[in-house]
Amino acid sequence: MTPDEATNQVIDALERLKIPYMLVGSFSTMIYGLSRSTKDADIVLQLEGMSIRKITAELPSEFVLDPQIKFESATGTTRYVVEVPSIPFTIEFFRLSADPHDNERFRRRSAVSSEQLGRTVVVPTLEDVVLTKLRWSVATERPKDVEDITNVIAVQGDDAFDWDYIHHWCAQHGTRERLDEIRASIPPIDD
Amino acid sequence: MSEPTKELADDIFRRRVLRARTTPPGQKLMDGFKLYERACGLMRDGIRHQFPNADADEVEAILRKRLKRLRQIEEHGIYHDLSEEQTP
Repeated sequence: MTPDEATNQVIDALERLKIPYMLVGSFSTMIYGLSRSTKDADIVLQLEGMSIRKITAELPSEFVLDPQIKFESATGTTRYVVEVPSIPFTIEFFRLSADPHDNERFRRRSAVSSEQLGRTVVVPTLEDVVLTKLRWSVATERPKDVEDITNVIAVQGDDAFDWDYIHHWCAQHGTRERLDEIRASIPPIDD
Repeated sequence: MSEPTKELADDIFRRRVLRARTTPPGQKLMDGFKLYERACGLMRDGIRHQFPNADADEVEAILRKRLKRLRQIEEHGIYHDLSEEQTP
């Protein structure tokens, strides 16, 4: 099995179970920005009352659920990790949290058709990718978040964004200063 | 070799951005998978160099251990353990 096959099998299972989902993390930043090495597939799920085990039961036996559940404090999200031991690749499921922006980005998610993957994948909007990465950047100071935001803004170009929407949520999250720093650091790019 | 200048770094970045603008989103995802597989391949080469007597299973076990360690460093202080009973 390859990482893309593993990801496709998980999305197939979610669609069979009719679980609303969106691909986040490196997947969504690559869709809008630059390619980068990806060691996992991060997927936000609207599970309502459903147990995560219902999804793992739908997957082939090669997929193994890590019994250790993790809680992420920046957005109050619960994470479940599914390993595929035959390949060094993991699937990370995040339960949709009660966080207002988490809910808004889930509501605004959109489908992107891909000939290469042979399917449609559901991802957050480009504004919500930037907003989530900004929160992570300020909360954790991980360099890769700044890099991802820079790449998405540079590839899409300023005109592609709804800046009023971004500024509204930046004010809520206290991330405006980081956003302005990143935008100022991007060199001019002419087609 | 002289140090790379900001102008050179900006020029390389500009070229990558312009290329990405003409690459279909799905292709960028596939490239991401390939980059990861290539990175794992290089890590396996390094493991085989360090442990010439390791068989394929042992190389994979060391690779998984190293990736787990890298993940722990990256996630330090971000995630906290939660028992299944505490799941919201």
